[in-house]
Amino acid sequence: MTTSPFVLEVGLGILMLCVFAASLVARGEDRRHIGWLATAGVAVLAVVSMTLGPSGPAFGGAFVQDGLAVFAKRLFLWATAIGLLGGMSQDRLPFLRRSGEYHLLMLASLLGMFVLASARDIILLFVGFELMSMPLYALSGFVKRDEMAVEAALKFFVVGSVSSAVMAYGLSFVYGAARTTSLAGVAKAFAAGDPFVVLGLLAAFAGFGFKIAAFPFHMWVPDTYEAASTPFVAWLSVTPKAAGFVALFRLYFEGVGDRVVFWVPIAAALATITIVAGNLMALPQQNAKRLLAYSGIAHIGYMLVGLAAASSNGTAMVLFYLVAYVFGNMGAFLVVEAVGRSERSEHLSAFRGLAQRSPLLALAMLLFLLSLGGIPFVAGFWAKLYVFWAAAQQGLYWLVLVGAVLTVVALFYYLVVAKRMYIEPPDRPDPVALPGSLAVAVTLCVLGIVVIGVWPKPVVMAALRVAAPLF
Amino acid sequence: MSLPLAVLALPFVSFVLLAVVPPLRRAGRVAGGVSIAATAVAFVCALATWQGHLEGEQLVPWIPGDAGPMATVGLLVDPITNAMLVLVTLVSLLIQIYSLAYLSDEPSPALGRYYTYQSLFAFSMLGLVLSPTFLQMFIFWELVGLCSYLLIGFWYQRPAAARAAVKAFWITKLGDLGFVTGIVMLWAATGTFEFSTLFRMGAAGQLPAESLGLILFLIYLGAVGKSAQFPLHVWLPDAMEGPTPVSALIHAATMVTAGVFMVTRAQPLFALVPDLVWLIGTVGAFTALLAASMACVEHDIKRVLAYSTVSQLGYMMAAAGAGAADAGFFHLLTHGVFKALLFLAAGSVIHAVGTNDMFRMGRLWHGLPHTGIVFIVGTLALAGVWPLAGFFSKESILAAVWGAGRTGTFAVLALTAFLTAFYMFRAVFLTFFGHAHAGGHPHEAPWPMRGPLWILAILTLVLGLAFLASPPPAVEAHHGPGWLGPFSLGLAAAGLALAWAMYQQRAIAPASFSRVLAPIDFAARRRYGIDALYLGLYKGLILGFSKLIGLIDRYLVDGLVNVFSALSLRSGDRLRRIQSGQVHDYVYGVAFGVLLVVVFAHWWAR
Repeated sequence: MTTSPFVLEVGLGILMLCVFAASLVARGEDRRHIGWLATAGVAVLAVVSMTLGPSGPAFGGAFVQDGLAVFAKRLFLWATAIGLLGGMSQDRLPFLRRSGEYHLLMLASLLGMFVLASARDIILLFVGFELMSMPLYALSGFVKRDEMAVEAALKFFVVGSVSSAVMAYGLSFVYGAARTTSLAGVAKAFAAGDPFVVLGLLAAFAGFGFKIAAFPFHMWVPDTYEAASTPFVAWLSVTPKAAGFVALFRLYFEGVGDRVVFWVPIAAALATITIVAGNLMALPQQNAKRLLAYSGIAHIGYMLVGLAAASSNGTAMVLFYLVAYVFGNMGAFLVVEAVGRSERSEHLSAFRGLAQRSPLLALAMLLFLLSLGGIPFVAGFWAKLYVFWAAAQQGLYWLVLVGAVLTVVALFYYLVVAKRMYIEPPDRPDPVALPGSLAVAVTLCVLGIVVIGVWPKPVVMAALRVAAPLF
Repeated sequence: MSLPLAVLALPFVSFVLLAVVPPLRRAGRVAGGVSIAATAVAFVCALATWQGHLEGEQLVPWIPGDAGPMATVGLLVDPITNAMLVLVTLVSLLIQIYSLAYLSDEPSPALGRYYTYQSLFAFSMLGLVLSPTFLQMFIFWELVGLCSYLLIGFWYQRPAAARAAVKAFWITKLGDLGFVTGIVMLWAATGTFEFSTLFRMGAAGQLPAESLGLILFLIYLGAVGKSAQFPLHVWLPDAMEGPTPVSALIHAATMVTAGVFMVTRAQPLFALVPDLVWLIGTVGAFTALLAASMACVEHDIKRVLAYSTVSQLGYMMAAAGAGAADAGFFHLLTHGVFKALLFLAAGSVIHAVGTNDMFRMGRLWHGLPHTGIVFIVGTLALAGVWPLAGFFSKESILAAVWGAGRTGTFAVLALTAFLTAFYMFRAVFLTFFGHAHAGGHPHEAPWPMRGPLWILAILTLVLGLAFLASPPPAVEAHHGPGWLGPFSLGLAAAGLALAWAMYQQRAIAPASFSRVLAPIDFAARRRYGIDALYLGLYKGLILGFSKLIGLIDRYLVDGLVNVFSALSLRSGDRLRRIQSGQVHDYVYGVAFGVLLVVVFAHWWAR
């Protein structure tokens, strides 16, 4: 069956128009329905995406809908569906009054990710990158009266702009030396060892480093996560990162052949410092969102371990890691949102005795923490195992060792949260109020990590399949 | 394959329902209803699977590996699986119905918990018998172990029950350690966990000859623990601290036979190592005799039955050791029925008089005629009296052992058969006849308890008659000499007569008898010192060693860990300070990162 490569993009565009139109007509309480419209639309697209296969390139090869793109878009869609669902119960005034704006911005960013995942051209890549990033700045400071949020959004924006500038500068070098904007041509020039292409690509790494939040490009992360609204952060913490990794594969791996080993030491070095710094900085955190922010940085380090393997196995395992991470990390943030809503605090002490107050919610959180910590049989275990495996195949045993040791540190701070929930007595006996939409979103995340944890095969196989053609 | 899958899935669904829907679980009897309904449908499905001869194997890759799947999961249905499915679902069903009355005094939440565990157990045991790979079998093997632990410790407020649960768990773990090591070594040597592949490799002589003996010995250790073979048999008598229906189901009819089942399942592998088969048979026969002698001096009716279970498991293993795993498996099935019957009848007795001590019972025949009859039916079956089910299976074991030319084992088993008849009729006379008086007015239990008893009793009888009409393959395969039947009946009669003379007629005083056999009596009453030996070993060796390790751990390991963790915390705290909150610092971070990447590429990249 041949379908247009733009099915999902066009579908998303139509959805955005509908949301826009709805936000023009909806008044008062009706604005709540805009959210449902967006969520349902994204869920439908997610289901549709499962039936789509790869199709031919468009725009003279500048836009491709290959296996990797389809895999990535499925991931973005599911993550966004869960993220939107989790955000449905936000009750602060701006989220109601400017609901259309909120959802339109998220969908616009999603469209940027779509373009990014399919781009095989420098210009398109950069445009997709910015289309993805700009709405995120606005969404971070969405509650305009919240000074912290505005400050965090500004920081996010400044760091993002600088990174984008360095990236654009680097890409201009690449274009100058390779004399083409096509990534295939760039890959050829890189494989031939053109020094300016190499320099340009190195500089462009700043943009990706910022987007995936590798150390030391990560500084915006804790502040932004802490200040922005939690359901948005749940989504922000996983989806743009997945998009960043996909673009990394496109720009740095696809079609460069044996020269791919050039990236091994750089990725390994960044992986090491990111894992070490992320985990160590997570240790003293007392705020759940900051804790998850730093732990998320550490997870990026683990994905960089897979990147450092610079092989089709390594790439596939990063993709698998992303899937596991999407469900585990979003789930954890959504539980933080549930507890935060009810307790008006995101301090770790808000989790005291959660197991007695809301046993199922506590169990869900425990599962997410175990998945993030890498305990069998939840998804995170396989994710870590497989990236380590890929790195070991490349002979990076020391990197595996560093990663494994720091996993122990990570377990410590995850289990501190578990201890709060299960061992410490609750301050109040009543259960945590859990809105239905949030409960469904958390349940979806639990299902994700448990099903993949028990039955990793389909996802692993799919990831291996889509990663193989890159090399 | 959908029917066997349904058999497996139904108890699981019931377990999940009870586990995640607290109101349902706390409703107690409703929870029981859910569990019973699921098991009943599973039983029907199992019957249909058996009758439809739905045999076959289905495997699906589970853990992806470099070259093909690292592990597979699936379902394996063959005649022995079918028989086990029917046995497990039937006995589970009857026992769950029985428990409804037996545990009627329990508070609702506790009853719900009980049925949650029962459902989990049924699921785990069925999964175990359906496993087509060693790995999957091991997973379910551990799950049944967990259920056993939970159910022995069902009355966890009682210290004895809690202790017994822990003891059962740890002793069986000792065997499981061997089991898991064995299957991992087997996987390392062959690259597969699947039975069918392993059997094929074994038949083609592709298994590593030099290490196979060790591997299978380690795997056999798992069976030693689970099926309570000497020297790991000590947990089973203590496991009687759990509710009686649990003892009937898990510690007589199903879980403890998992070891025998595993040896039967892996028979083509074990057959490759004759020395190991000899060991299995010898340990089995020895266990049979040892446990039978301890049963003769026990006062507690449930413990008599527990030792008898150990003894019969030894019998089954002895059959496997004579190369007749089919005969052992046949005995497993019949024993499952009549031992469940005996336990449930004992439960009915305990329910009526409120004590386990047989010397404080007596003349219960008048108060409990139903229980008395079914208990005697079970006793006759266990003693191997024609034409009950036990006669045929015991006979085929004795015939197989004689046929294999293992005279020594045969003699031990014959002696055991005599002792079996003796201790069982000792229990019958002490409980239902005799001279002592139980206090109060014991009365029959309600019908939910009596019904399962009668069903099992009739089944014991009907099975025997059915075997008489059409001998099953295991009987056909092992024809003993002509004198064997009368000989074993004679043994049973001798045991009966001795028990009658000692405990009914008081023609022989037990005390004078024990004076004659003083050393054995002394030792048997003290469980041959095995429990004490373990206690000594534990207190002296293991605790001493643990203390040493504890010191090393506290000062050396903890010291290092503390240094490391303090270092981590300190450096985490330091590192945190680069998060100044100043946006220009963040931009420096980006610049520093680019510099780092470029410098790194320059240095290392070639």
